[in-house]
Amino acid sequence: MEFLKSLGFDPIMLGAQILNFLIIFYLLKRFLYKPVMDMVKKREDKITLGLKQAQEAQELMEKTLVDEKKILTKAQDEAKKIIEETKEESRQIASNIQEEAKVQAEKMLTQMRTQLDQDTRQMEKALMEKVSVLAADMLTKSLQGMLTESEQKEIVQKAVKQIKKVN
Amino acid sequence: MVSFAAEPIVYIGNFAITNSFLDTFLVDAIIVGLIFSVRKKLSLIPGKLQTVTESIISEFYNITESVAGTNAAKIFPFFMTFFIFILIANWTGLIPGISAIGIREEHGLIPLLRPATSDFNATLGLALVSVVATHILSIRTIGIFDYLSRYFSLNPINLFIGFLEIISEITKMISLSFRLFGNIFAGEIVLGTVSSMVAILFPLPFLMLEVVVGLVQALVFAMLTMAFMAILMTSHKTHAKEVSH
Repeated sequence: MEFLKSLGFDPIMLGAQILNFLIIFYLLKRFLYKPVMDMVKKREDKITLGLKQAQEAQELMEKTLVDEKKILTKAQDEAKKIIEETKEESRQIASNIQEEAKVQAEKMLTQMRTQLDQDTRQMEKALMEKVSVLAADMLTKSLQGMLTESEQKEIVQKAVKQIKKVN
Repeated sequence: MVSFAAEPIVYIGNFAITNSFLDTFLVDAIIVGLIFSVRKKLSLIPGKLQTVTESIISEFYNITESVAGTNAAKIFPFFMTFFIFILIANWTGLIPGISAIGIREEHGLIPLLRPATSDFNATLGLALVSVVATHILSIRTIGIFDYLSRYFSLNPINLFIGFLEIISEITKMISLSFRLFGNIFAGEIVLGTVSSMVAILFPLPFLMLEVVVGLVQALVFAMLTMAFMAILMTSHKTHAKEVSH
């Protein structure tokens, strides 16, 4: 005890020092460590959340890019298909038009041929009639003075009949 | 010459306010000031002071976690408080000229402030808090029966080991208090002697040395407390099983 006394040991001072330390301990624990640790935790949570959101956004972006690529490929395929179909359709239409035009042309050709035949026949008929009249006239004029009028008439009538028969 | 006992400055009734106790108030004021400064500007986007405080606290918590594992949250406040309190107490004695301010008496100058940790009452008080808190935490964590099984057993060998454990608990208290008191008190004497020989420049290396000693002693006290707490908060049976395996 003497040894402790020589070191300045004082039970009251010891108690005061212990009490003082406990107060400081409480103050630091309650007003410094806890709020600071809470703040650090809060910040860590926020950073973690931010990182998570960033990762999610990146994943979403990657997914969107893949989707976009898929949609683009699908659209390209569809476009190709549409173009092919359109080409095929246009080919079909062109072929149809060509066919129709051919039929039309043939029809027109047939009509024109018929018309031409008809016209030729009419012209031939008219020509024959004119030739008959002309031949009758020529025959009448060449027989004038050689035969009587009645004989002339008879011969001309026979000749005209003969010409008509030939036709 | 610096005396072992802290010198009384004023008396309140029979209670003597010593210079080391006044220094304790200074330490308290610094700590409270620190708490206010940090709390005042505490925000999600930290300022300089908050960054430093957060870094120190986080670092010390990580150290505690690496030693104590799941018990870190319980041990950390003690570890950190012992460190801060002892560090500031050690360093307040190193403020240049602080020992020159005092009351002149017949046998010499009594400094107004003397490091709290150069007073045996303060270091013994800290050691007592450390040991008692260690045992309270141990009981609360592993339970009274597991706690008692460390010291008492029907097996004579284990009973003898338990007896040695009890002695070690007493020696813990003695070693913690005397180590801190001895180092800081010795530093005070060295600085006082050197300064009385040559007051300018010559004491500077010793002052630097004492800065390091103050830091190391604060760390040693806090780390030992943490280690003792971590050991006693581990179940005796679990520990025994781990050793046997």
